[in-house]
Amino acid sequence: MNEQLQMLVALQDLDLMIREAKDPERANREEELGFPLDGVVKLERTRERLAKQLDERLLQMYERMSRRYARVVVPVEGSVCLGCFMGLPTAASHRRTSGTTVDNCENCGRILYRL
Amino acid sequence: MPTAPIAERKPATHLENHLRADLFIPELKAKKKLAVLEELTAHLAERKVTRHPEAVLEVLRQREALGSTGIGKGIAIPHGRSTMVAERAVLFARSSRGIDFEAADSLPVHLCFLIVAPPMEQDPIYLRLLADIVKSVRLARARQRLLEAPDFESVREILTASVARE
Repeated sequence: MNEQLQMLVALQDLDLMIREAKDPERANREEELGFPLDGVVKLERTRERLAKQLDERLLQMYERMSRRYARVVVPVEGSVCLGCFMGLPTAASHRRTSGTTVDNCENCGRILYRL
Repeated sequence: MPTAPIAERKPATHLENHLRADLFIPELKAKKKLAVLEELTAHLAERKVTRHPEAVLEVLRQREALGSTGIGKGIAIPHGRSTMVAERAVLFARSSRGIDFEAADSLPVHLCFLIVAPPMEQDPIYLRLLADIVKSVRLARARQRLLEAPDFESVREILTASVARE
């Protein structure tokens, strides 16, 4: 997995954590169980730093798709995109990416990775 | 001949459903929080829960930045959702020496439950698992028995009984 894709994965995981920490119902439940959630600002700063390290084009692609999908970076299983569950052409499902290139599902546009 | 009534068995709890013998570390090698998280994620990779332990470790590190999962009384429950995990998993690990986990009560952690899950928005089982674990270690006696349990089957029995009692 190339470095940019690794950073996109980290960004997606961080975004979900921040969303959940800001969801009052979810946050209350965790706090009731004994888990303090007082570091949201710290996570938001980490997110800013991470976003600055990403290729600008990839970041824009991610941000644009985040408005549409809860999960932008999704796995390929066999030759199926697990975002839209559509089959991918064989060549696309085995392609390896390098540098700042990523693979997108030809059907839904989500960014793909191999688990 | 009349048949004896079938003994009623309570349905398995979420915790019981997720306990796995291969996800049990009887004695952790690491003594510090970050090193323990590394040891736990490496174990997940060995057991094929993830092929990207570094990504899972990053999630756990960020979760600790949000607030320590060392909830006191010698218990830590690090947890997080990672894009690099395909299925929910619970790993139970012990440290007889104790881990410096920056816990709420500053006491060393002896019992550590790691929960990892895929990044699904709607996953009520994830929170129920967390609640089951908190319940299972509420009593000092259960915590002591978990520390002394000789094998995974004993651990399973103690945890299952503790959740059912609560």
